[in-house]
Amino acid sequence: MHAIVCIKQVPDSTNVRINPETNTLMREGVESILNPFDEYALEEGLRLHDAGARLSVISMGPPQAAAVLREALARGADDAYLLSDRAFAGADTLATGYALSCAIKKIDPNPDLILFGKQAIDGDTAQVGPGVAETLGLPLLAYVRDLSVSKDGAFTATVAMDDGDEVVEGRLPAVMTVVKEAHTPRFAPLSGAIAARRAKITTWSAKDVEADTARCGLNGSPTKVVRIFPPPVKGNAERIDARKDASRAAEAVIAKLAEKGIVRK
Amino acid sequence: MESTVKAIETDVLVIGAGPAGLGTAIALMRGAPEGSKPRVIVLDKGRNPGSHILSGAIVDPSGFDGLLTQEETAKLPVEARVSKESFRMISGPGRSMKVPWVPPLMHSRGYPVGSLTKIVSYLASIAEREGVELYTGYAVTELLEENGRICGARTGAKGIGKDGGHKENYLAPEEIRARVTVLAEGGCGILTERLADEKGLRGKRCQTYALAIKELVEVPAGKQTAGEVMHTFGYPLTDGTYGGGFVYHISETQVMAGYVCALDYRRPEIDPHLLFRRFKESSAVRRHIEGGKTVAYGAKTIPEGGYYSALHPYTPGCVIVGDAAGLLDSLRIKGVHIALQSAQAAAKAILAELKDGKGLETYPGLLHATRGWKEMKRVRNVRAAFRHGTFCGVMGAGMAWATFGLFPFWRLGGFEMPDSEELEPLKPGALEKESARGVPQNSPLSPDRLTGVFMSGTLHDEDQPCHLKIADAAKCGECREKYGAPCTRFCPAEVYRFEEDRLQIDFSNCLHCKTCKIKCPYGNVDWTFPQGGDGPRYTRM
Repeated sequence: MHAIVCIKQVPDSTNVRINPETNTLMREGVESILNPFDEYALEEGLRLHDAGARLSVISMGPPQAAAVLREALARGADDAYLLSDRAFAGADTLATGYALSCAIKKIDPNPDLILFGKQAIDGDTAQVGPGVAETLGLPLLAYVRDLSVSKDGAFTATVAMDDGDEVVEGRLPAVMTVVKEAHTPRFAPLSGAIAARRAKITTWSAKDVEADTARCGLNGSPTKVVRIFPPPVKGNAERIDARKDASRAAEAVIAKLAEKGIVRK
Repeated sequence: MESTVKAIETDVLVIGAGPAGLGTAIALMRGAPEGSKPRVIVLDKGRNPGSHILSGAIVDPSGFDGLLTQEETAKLPVEARVSKESFRMISGPGRSMKVPWVPPLMHSRGYPVGSLTKIVSYLASIAEREGVELYTGYAVTELLEENGRICGARTGAKGIGKDGGHKENYLAPEEIRARVTVLAEGGCGILTERLADEKGLRGKRCQTYALAIKELVEVPAGKQTAGEVMHTFGYPLTDGTYGGGFVYHISETQVMAGYVCALDYRRPEIDPHLLFRRFKESSAVRRHIEGGKTVAYGAKTIPEGGYYSALHPYTPGCVIVGDAAGLLDSLRIKGVHIALQSAQAAAKAILAELKDGKGLETYPGLLHATRGWKEMKRVRNVRAAFRHGTFCGVMGAGMAWATFGLFPFWRLGGFEMPDSEELEPLKPGALEKESARGVPQNSPLSPDRLTGVFMSGTLHDEDQPCHLKIADAAKCGECREKYGAPCTRFCPAEVYRFEEDRLQIDFSNCLHCKTCKIKCPYGNVDWTFPQGGDGPRYTRM
């Protein structure tokens, strides 16, 4: 059994601000983190690893993205691969999915399970996981929140739908995307972090994974960003302090809603 | 006792990745002969290097001498050097006066001025390049001791629930066995304080602290000059409590504005955050930040006691460096350079110890030979002189400067008791009088405490036991009667509030400044470590 988790380094969106003049991201003072949804995908992979599976992790990004791979290694992943090449720069979801698929094929032509976080918090597209499933011709199961796999590759997955859970049975190989309602991500033990510091991260270029550069990066991206703009600023929020007198605060909220015609008093 | 997994072995374990800890680690690597580099592990409870560090900061660059190359010092991540400095005496919201003459001891022209968080993260990258193993997000909660010798430490568990039970992601404590352990926790370090009590490492006087609250303000370009700095004293602290403010232009569009309030204050109605807001509203400060917007917030305590309050920094197997040992020039309120000098002194002693199995005990002597320590000695009475009012303080500072520290030759009184015991009972009507002086409106330049907490990025897993342990809840009621519950005012993160008759502790807001541990009049707060990686996430402080 071989599981591969695809993870991404993203800016910590809680701190992201947009420069109103240039409409670009102000990166100053913004940390890079492991995409929060990927934490859950990684945890599902680690649980399979606990049960004896081999676990590989891949990321695509600049050399600094190795940090999230080291974090995955510290938590227990077996090996890590970084796709880093100028040819990948500016990739949209299609080109990213293609590049990852090439890398996955190189790691293991017949992987059992490929895991993704539901989506990345920077682009919020939720398309790369499904894109890889399509490119590799594998079945896709999105929004998984619980998974058990038996030795013969039969699996039972609980899928979080808008209106309830669906329990799906099937047989690997498959691509799955994982939601935050899955198992709580584990912490890396210090001993794991020490081992990960020394571990090797295999870095591959487009050529290394035999990717067709016409399908990579900006060249291979049919979607283009035409314009970036911050949403119009809404009026200043009013804060009603409910700590001293909750019932008076509730009345104030009702009065406000009535004033706006949302409720009738 | 929690069960622990197999111990990690290292030559040196450094607890705390601030200037002192990273300085020690770098000096160790650079001082060791090629081919016999020690294994150095540095741990920090912050999520990233620098997450929990905060300072003005005008850094006296002398600390980098001998530690960094000239090229590395030139590349410090600061945008400005002090180009214009002034002292102002503020006498009221609209009145202030420039102090015409400043003792040369206090000059800082040409010094780098910027964010200590960034400097620390720069030092971290140098340390890692040198082969130092730095791991952040791990709180060290206990020192290990064998036959009277410190022999390593234990990390805190993670994934413990509110109810004390193990959660799905429980992580057991881990043991690190080290030949030498370096305490570099910063001011009022929990392990350091505990060790100082156990081993009798206290100085002649109690340590006295100050609470520093700081904001980063973004101002419109083209109006201000990078490198201009201003220090103030006087208003809004007009009752003789020691304190003052600062405004540093760290770039053309960024201003650090901060207020330092000594924690030996006596009137329980004092609210340092409110003082900070009033300070920002005064005309002397406003012209520096007009049209700006606060974008980051933080708070930290400074060990101000200086020479007489410093700890004896050595016990078998262990040395204490930087703020943790109380190493600070209490005239200039500068500690980074002394931290770095103590780091270099410690590294020398540690290398001898690793080589010959002895030599660690030479650290106090090496420390006392540093320029920083001599500077502390020269101004040893200045902080105490300020206990007698600003006039005495300024005279004391002047005398110390003029006589190279010879006068006063005796040890001025004061600080026989800790800051927690200084409070006088609340006078009737004092709280009302204080608030009648006005509370500024919430605005982009004067965010309230909770907005500040948000901007500090502080975050704690809420499903964990509260790390601020109240020894005796009944005392909180008594305190409310007698002192008006000063914790609800001195905490810069609004952690403490009363809900009817019950003290509510919102530990998730905590900025790890330790003011509550220092100032609670009943010594009722036991500050324990929350889960490693929790706490503020300073990036530009």
